[in-house]
Amino acid sequence: MSKGHSHQTAAQDKISNGQKFAYGLGSIVNNLLGGAIGFMSIVLNVGLGINPALVGTLQAIPRLTDALTDPVMGYVSDKTRSKYGRRRPYIFIGAIMVGLVFALMWQLPPGNSEMFYFWFFLAGSVVFYLFYTMFATPWVALGYELTSDYHERTRLMGVMNFMGQFAWISLPWFYAIMENDRLFTDSVQGARTLAIVIGVFVAVVGIMPAIFCREKFVASDDDKKQKVKLLDGLKSNIAMFFKGLVITVKRVEFLKLCAGTFFLFNGIMLVGAFSSYITIFYVCGGDTDMGAKYMGLFGTINTISTLAAIAAVTWISAKIGKRRTFIIATSITLAGSLLKWFCYDPMAPWKVLLPAPMMAVGMGALFTLMGSMIADVCDLDELETGERREGMFGSIYWWMVKLGMALAFGLSGYLLNATGFLVEYGGAQTSSTFLWMRIVDVIIPAAAAGIAIYAVASFKITEEKSYEIRTELERRRAKKSNAELATKPV
Amino acid sequence: MSSYKIVYSLCVIISMLAFSGCQDVTDELAGKKPDDAKTIKISMIAKSASNPVFLSAKRGAETTAFNLSEKYSMIDVDVDWNTPEVDDPSIQVTKIREAITDNYDAVLVSCSDKDSLTSAINEAVESGLHVMTFDSDAPGSKRFSFYGPDDVELGRTIMNELALLLNGKGKIAILAGSEKAPNLQNRVKGVKETAMETPGIQVVGEFYHAENEDEAIEEMLRVNKMHPDLKGWAMVGGWPMFGKKMLNVIAPGKYKIVAVDALPEQLVYIERNIVQVLLGQPTFKWGEIGVEAIVNKIHLEKEVDEVIPLKPLKISIDNLGGWSRQLRAWGYEGIPEEYFTL
Repeated sequence: MSKGHSHQTAAQDKISNGQKFAYGLGSIVNNLLGGAIGFMSIVLNVGLGINPALVGTLQAIPRLTDALTDPVMGYVSDKTRSKYGRRRPYIFIGAIMVGLVFALMWQLPPGNSEMFYFWFFLAGSVVFYLFYTMFATPWVALGYELTSDYHERTRLMGVMNFMGQFAWISLPWFYAIMENDRLFTDSVQGARTLAIVIGVFVAVVGIMPAIFCREKFVASDDDKKQKVKLLDGLKSNIAMFFKGLVITVKRVEFLKLCAGTFFLFNGIMLVGAFSSYITIFYVCGGDTDMGAKYMGLFGTINTISTLAAIAAVTWISAKIGKRRTFIIATSITLAGSLLKWFCYDPMAPWKVLLPAPMMAVGMGALFTLMGSMIADVCDLDELETGERREGMFGSIYWWMVKLGMALAFGLSGYLLNATGFLVEYGGAQTSSTFLWMRIVDVIIPAAAAGIAIYAVASFKITEEKSYEIRTELERRRAKKSNAELATKPV
Repeated sequence: MSSYKIVYSLCVIISMLAFSGCQDVTDELAGKKPDDAKTIKISMIAKSASNPVFLSAKRGAETTAFNLSEKYSMIDVDVDWNTPEVDDPSIQVTKIREAITDNYDAVLVSCSDKDSLTSAINEAVESGLHVMTFDSDAPGSKRFSFYGPDDVELGRTIMNELALLLNGKGKIAILAGSEKAPNLQNRVKGVKETAMETPGIQVVGEFYHAENEDEAIEEMLRVNKMHPDLKGWAMVGGWPMFGKKMLNVIAPGKYKIVAVDALPEQLVYIERNIVQVLLGQPTFKWGEIGVEAIVNKIHLEKEVDEVIPLKPLKISIDNLGGWSRQLRAWGYEGIPEEYFTL
C-alpha cells in the first residue's frame, strides 16, 4: 500500500461465499489427489511386496510426464472457447474421470508378480495424472480469474488454502485406515476400498467448482473465431504453445514468485523428515513412542497455527499489501527455523513444540498470497500481450512446486545419509551426526526462507500498480467491446 | 435454494452416507475390542529380575504388547513377568511348566542353562505353546525362533575394532570369563580367527576367570605384568567394568580395550578413555522383537526366521551421548546426567 490506505473491494468484484466455498472444495480434492498416492503407496511395498526402489520409480515417472502435460493443459484451457467457459468443462469431466481412474488403479488383483503390479500401477498412474492435470490445471486457472480485485483474490485464496488444509489433515490417517483389521482383512483390501471412497468423493466434490463457480472472462466474437483457428493445424498450435511458454517463463515478476515458492516450500519439505528424526532419536533418545507423541502434537499445533495464519494473512494483506505480508510471514518462519536450534533439548523434549506455530506462518501465507499474486501477474501479462493465460501460469507454477517437492523428497534421503545417520543405531548416533542433522534442519529452511524473502522483496505489482493495470485493462476491454458492437450488422 | 445451501446439503448427505452403518468405526473410536477378540498370553522368563538388562527387555516387551494390542483390534497381548529374582535354571524350568498349566499361548525365555531348559521347552511346544528364546538360546530345543547375537561374529567384531585401534599391530590378550560358557567360547573363537587373519596382531593368550569384577581385574593385572609390551585387550564380556575399581588401576589410554556390553556403569570407562569401544546390545529389543515375532507367528500366521540376528552397536566417545539417551529411553537408571547433553 503506497499511499497509506487500501482500496475497498467494489460490490461487483466480490465473490459470493457460496462460490468461494465451491472453489475451496476443489482445493480439498486437489490436495487429496496430490497426496493420496504418496500416502497409500506404502501398501505397494508392505502389502504387495514391491521393492521400495520400484515404488519410488512409480512415484517419480509421473513427475516427468507432468512436465509436458501441465503446460499443454494450461495452453489448451486458455485457448478453449465454449459456451460453458474455458475452465469449467475440464474441471467437470476431469473430476469425474480422475475419481474413476483413482478408484480403478488400486483394484490390484491378488496373486500376481511384482512386475505385473509395477506395470499395472504405472499404467494406472500415467492415466490418473493425465486426468488429474485435466482437473487441476483449469481449476487453478479459474481461481486466478474469478475476480479482478486485488484484495478479493487474496480472500479467495485464503478460503481455498484454508479448506485445502483439511485434505492434509486427513491424509496421514490413510495408512491407519487401510491397516485397520476391524474394517479390512489386509492393507491391500483396505487400499482398494479406500480408493473407491476417495474416487467417489473426488468425483462428487470435484465437480462443485464447475457447477457453482462463474467464469469472469467469457468468449468474445473474436475469440469464438479463434476456436476454428485452434483446430486449423497442429503445427501452428505447437508453435503458439512454445511461444506462450517462453513468454510465461520470461515474465520476471512471475519468476520471482516461482523462486519464492520454490525455496520456501522446498526448503521446509527437504528437511521435513529431519525434524522427525531429530525429535525421535536425539531429543527423545530413540524412544519412538515418546517421539511419535511429540511429532503428533507438533503436527496438531502446526495445523491449527496454519489455519490461524491463513486467516491472519488474508486480513493483514488487505491492510499492508501482499508483498509486505509475505515478507513478514516468511521472516517469522525464518525466525522459527533458527529457534529450533535452541529447542532441540534432550533434557526438555517439550521445547520441540515451541517453533511449530512460527513454522506454520510462512506455509500458511505462501499458498494464500502466491495464488493471489500470480493472478496480479496474469493482469500484467494481459496488459503487455493482450492475452489471458492463467492456465499457462498456473500449470508452470504448480509443476515447479510438484517437481521441487519430488526433488526434495528424493534429496532428503541422501542428505540424511550424508550426516552419517545409521538407522540400526537408533538413538545411539554419533554426536557429529546429530550435530549435522541439526545444522541441516535449521540452516536449510532458514536460508531458503531468506532467499524467498529476497526474491519476492522486489516484486513490483503493488496494490496501486495492480489497480492501475486493472483500470487500463477494463478501458481496453470496453473499447474492444464497443468496436465489436459497432461492426455487428443491425 | 442458494448454491451455498446446495453444497452444504450435499456435504451433509455424503458425510451421513460415509458414516451410516459404520459401527466398527465408532467402536474403533471408543477403543472397544470386538467380543471375539483373542487374548495372547505371553510368559516372559528372563534370567534374573535383578539385572537391569532384563528389566529393559521387560519394558520393550510390555510397550510392544500395548502397541500391538492398539494396532490389531482382534487381539489383546498380555505379557506376564515370570522371571526368577536371581539366575536359577531350575526356577526357569518351573516357570515354563507353569505356563503350560496356566494356559499361556507363548513363552519368551532367555535360557540360564540350555541343557536344563531344553526338555521343558519341548514339553511346552508339545502342549501347544509357542516358545521363543532371546539373548541366550537352547538351540537343540523345539523353540520356533531365537533373537540374539551370533557369538562368533561378535568375537570377530571385537577383534576388528581392536585391530583398528592398534593400527593392525601389537600384542593383545583375550579376557574370556568362564571357560564353560559356550557363548563366551564362541566369542573367543571369533576373536582368535580374526586375529590370525591380521598379520600384525599377536594373541598372547585367552584368560579365564570367575565372572565377577574383582577376579576379572586381578586376572588382567596378572597378564599385564606378565606381558609388559601388551598393547590391547579383547574382552568378550564386560566384567572388569561392573564397578569403579578399574578406574584406579588402569591408566587412561595405556591399553586399547574393546569389550562387550555397554551398561550405564560401564560408560565412565569410555568417558575416561580407559576403554575405547564397547559393543552394546539393544536389550529393549529383546522384548520388542520377541513379542513381535510371537504375534507374527500366532496372530498373523507369518513365517518367522529361526534365528533373528542381533547386531551389537559400537559405543565410543563419539556416540556416548546418544547411547546414554537411548539407555534412558529403554528404562535404564544411574546414567550420569551430563552425558545426556553430549
